[in-house]
Amino acid sequence: MASNLGRLFSSIFNLSAPKLVLPCIRSEPPLTRSSINSASRLVSSSAQKPQSDQENINKEQREAVERDLENKNEDDLEEEEGGGGGIQANEETGEVGGPRGPEPTRYGDWERNGRCYDF
Amino acid sequence: MTTCIPAGGGKLHYQVTDCKGHGLQGCRKTSSVSGVTFNRCSQKELSWSSGVSKFLNIQRCNFSQSPISENWRIIRTVTSSCLRDGSTKFFDFAVIGSGVAGLRYALEVAKHGSVAVITKAEPHESNTNYAQGGVSAVLCPSDSVESHMHDTIVAGAHLCDEETVRVVCTEGPDRIKELIAMGASFDHGEDGNLHLAREGGHSHRRIVHAADMTGREIERALLEAVDKDPNIFVFEHHFAIDLLTFQNGSDTVCLGVDTLNTETFEVTRFNSKVTLLASGGAGHIYPSTTNPPVATGDGMAMAHRAEAVISNMEFVQFHPTALADEGLPLKPTKTRENAFLVTEAVRGDGGILYNLAMERFMPLYDERAELAPRDVVARSIDDQLKKRNEKYVLLDISHRPREKILLHFPSIAAECLRHGLDITRQPIPVVPAAHYMCGGVRAGLQGETNVRGLYVAGEVACTGLHGANRLASNSLLEALVFARRAVQPSIEHMKSSGIDFSASNWWPRPVVPKSLGTNTMDKILTFTREVRKELQALMWRYVGIIRSTIRLKSAERKISELEDKWEEYLFQQGWEPTMVGLEACEMRNLFCCAKLVVSSALARHESRGLHYTVDFPHLEESMRLPTIIFPASPVKSTWSSRQLHKQPI
Repeated sequence: MASNLGRLFSSIFNLSAPKLVLPCIRSEPPLTRSSINSASRLVSSSAQKPQSDQENINKEQREAVERDLENKNEDDLEEEEGGGGGIQANEETGEVGGPRGPEPTRYGDWERNGRCYDF
Repeated sequence: MTTCIPAGGGKLHYQVTDCKGHGLQGCRKTSSVSGVTFNRCSQKELSWSSGVSKFLNIQRCNFSQSPISENWRIIRTVTSSCLRDGSTKFFDFAVIGSGVAGLRYALEVAKHGSVAVITKAEPHESNTNYAQGGVSAVLCPSDSVESHMHDTIVAGAHLCDEETVRVVCTEGPDRIKELIAMGASFDHGEDGNLHLAREGGHSHRRIVHAADMTGREIERALLEAVDKDPNIFVFEHHFAIDLLTFQNGSDTVCLGVDTLNTETFEVTRFNSKVTLLASGGAGHIYPSTTNPPVATGDGMAMAHRAEAVISNMEFVQFHPTALADEGLPLKPTKTRENAFLVTEAVRGDGGILYNLAMERFMPLYDERAELAPRDVVARSIDDQLKKRNEKYVLLDISHRPREKILLHFPSIAAECLRHGLDITRQPIPVVPAAHYMCGGVRAGLQGETNVRGLYVAGEVACTGLHGANRLASNSLLEALVFARRAVQPSIEHMKSSGIDFSASNWWPRPVVPKSLGTNTMDKILTFTREVRKELQALMWRYVGIIRSTIRLKSAERKISELEDKWEEYLFQQGWEPTMVGLEACEMRNLFCCAKLVVSSALARHESRGLHYTVDFPHLEESMRLPTIIFPASPVKSTWSSRQLHKQPI
């Protein structure tokens, strides 16, 4: 339920005013806290949500991403335990005991979850 | 003034008088060769095994296969004398650094004598621990040593020493097997064979790894073995200050190292028959680096001060896209210890690079745009930053599906979110980060240096393997191979050395600055921290990825001025030349390494591998030789360029 709510919030933000946020950063240095907040307030009023204070809006946006990241971790865990408790081979790479997901070296450097460790 | 030869270059920047009179005969020999024959020195003549001994007049190490004799009585005698006198310790072998090179060596030589492993923080704090990629080796029947060699030499822009490359690629597989026997656990496939990955630059799958924590796993296995070994004594939080050396005729001989215990603030002198320098890299000469805080180039600086020859310092490896804290909405409260590199995969998956005016700049530099090779991207970013006088560029992946972004790059998403940035909607601020030093203390094929009794292995060494650019995953391999190769000559040297207990009095001892008082120490500390930042900013600005003679000369001048300013301040506050403190000693090492990089970069009149200069933008075949830096002249020297025990009174 919580994860659905998270997805709902994030899709509201996406549908209602994705571009409201972007112009701020395209022409200026990256978003400051105040510009995130003012953009978020605009979004929330247009979606007819109750007026929340700045902290909550920022928090919800953050929580949406956090929830999605958590769900991704849960999915990964299920994938691993699915086969009856033992360590499964990685479907993509055929490796046992190694990192899940795509081959870390597929683009030349050694990456895990987006962070590069060596090249 | 350092004597610096762009080996093989038409112009040579030094004179005979710059070499110390009583020092290396070999140096004089070389200088007489300079204008006349240097240009004609072939690669073979300057090969690493013969070159070092030929030009620098050291004896080849002749050793026989002696049986392993465990003379426990001898070992116990040495041990007990180190307990008697707390401030001077006597060991057969001293190892400076606790990364893969240091520990691997320690475990072998411990079978023949007592070993002190000296490490400046916790034993696991080293570049090794952060090397979370893999180790490369020929472990597949369809792979070949020739192929690994070829890949290494191509990556190194043909500046590698072929014999070194052959040795490393040939001995690599055995070194990996030994690690496995020691308990390091590497990933395997379902068929039970080692799982090998293929990293950029390799034409075959040959990277062995442990999940994604290879360095950490190797470090863990080695530390465990070291803990169990009764002949190895680990001295944590012991910062190495200077090597203890003396002149024996034309030879410089190393008999140990002075250290500062950074927890008790006591100086401990280590007298050893053999010393292995395995102190790692110098990333912290730059403001953004993947290296942990311990990597301040201590070994390279100590070796240079001890008159060891340094080589190829201009080849500094940068990763183009590290997360730029400057560009995060909520800046981290304290400076990040080591840079967060944003993978190539972001660009591979469609990420676009923009400058701060939101102009897509890569197409201006290369038709492959963001998919151009990493070094092209690094140079392009550097060029934009310097032209526009900006601190970072932007890497935008937000146009891709949100779910895909979070699926593939959760670490970046989480880290950015922590600092107020949502990468599914906003671009990621990135800046190049210093990652690895290809150059260092020049080593022969046995890890020997021109200083007798001093061996080197790992990132601190310049063995000829990496040439002008390191091939991915070859660094752990180099460390393993050379640590092992230095063992036999070390044992032979140790056996032929006597212990002179009075030798420990030959050098004045470093002093802890108790007399200065807390107030003064605080001022010195604060100023030193500022100076460090200033040096790092200078290095990034003037000795970055794209170089030019004008900028390098500016760097030379400004670094010298900064160094004078810093030393003047210290001495004004009452600091004396034999005083030591962690930050001050690190600072002098950083100055030393920075100057080595600048001198080397100025000496190379071509662009090759990692060294790119607009004044000489092409490869020059006649310059396909290592850059060599000989010891400094005593005429004009600073606190950072002299050993502590050789300071003028």
